[in-house]
Amino acid sequence: MMSNTDDESQIGPEDAELIAAIGRAWQQADPPPVDLADGVLARVAAEDLEFDLLTLVESEDALAGVRSGSDVTEADREATGAWSLEYVGPDLHVYVRLTRIEQRTRLDGWVVPARPLTVRLRTEEQDSTLDTAVDKFGRFELTEVPAGLARLTFFDEPRTASRPRVTPPFWI
Amino acid sequence: MSELPTESQSVWATAASHFQRWRDGDPAALDDLVRLLSPMLWQVVRASGVDRTTAEDVVQTTWLALVRSGESISEPRAVAGWLFTSARREAWRVAKQSTRQQPAEDEALARRLPDEPAPEEQVVLDDDNARLWASLGRLTERCQQLLRIVAAEPRPDYSTIATQLDMPVGSIGPTRGRCLDKLRRELAQAGGR
Repeated sequence: MMSNTDDESQIGPEDAELIAAIGRAWQQADPPPVDLADGVLARVAAEDLEFDLLTLVESEDALAGVRSGSDVTEADREATGAWSLEYVGPDLHVYVRLTRIEQRTRLDGWVVPARPLTVRLRTEEQDSTLDTAVDKFGRFELTEVPAGLARLTFFDEPRTASRPRVTPPFWI
Repeated sequence: MSELPTESQSVWATAASHFQRWRDGDPAALDDLVRLLSPMLWQVVRASGVDRTTAEDVVQTTWLALVRSGESISEPRAVAGWLFTSARREAWRVAKQSTRQQPAEDEALARRLPDEPAPEEQVVLDDDNARLWASLGRLTERCQQLLRIVAAEPRPDYSTIATQLDMPVGSIGPTRGRCLDKLRRELAQAGGR
């Protein structure tokens, strides 16, 4: 997100000092409301921060490897095949398909109705995230996803437009 | 007004440590983060040309976005930059919307640096700031706007600013330099520096 050009590094100390002085003048001339931070905190506190949890309505596995619980075995992790999951939320349907070939897993899926969403996969074991976007046909894809317990989150853009929708954890 | 660390490195580092504590589960750390950065976010948002009421709303919206999607920030040190850039974009989006409802001339005028601080703000500038303020007021509107924007945050994102001011990103540095030179000449004429 920070894409500073080298403009910044070209600021000499004298310019930087003058810019800082301008900043201080503005702070004095245009101070924020005294309760700015309190207002922010009140709004954050009042906001219902719950996610909309999607519900698993269908799961189909060609390799008997998907569990939505914790009882995954080593054999499951080694398996090859494809399986799918279907979730519903208040305003969308999500279909997820996982394809495993030689220990590499690809995740793709589609959203109905199609809408621009950011899709984030969060794996709990590695505490890492992968992002992709839903295209205009409602499709999304992550070409390689790590094994383990994971959740998908769907965000509207801009993020503030609605609450994110999150799937329950599922095993990859 | 609360004392802010003026050194950008320390703001970044302090913000990062608050953010890390908050993510680690300390809810009070969010209060600290909000109190540290909101006054600076205010300046960033106001520099984009929105009125005070709207600015307050934009600052709140920016924090809500952080609370909702803070997990997307993988590096705690990026949190301040993320907030500043989000605030600038949101302010710009709101400012553009309101421009559609009024002639562009009015919008341009509304952004002009007033000769004196607006009466509603009821502030008394100290001598140094008053002299600087008077000299700023003699610059072109574009210089005033650019200097306010670059002064509002420690490490502005120049590509966003370029879009906002409809300038090529490469010309921001040189324009900023020319505006600062003009300001120095005004200050010299006014008997300062």
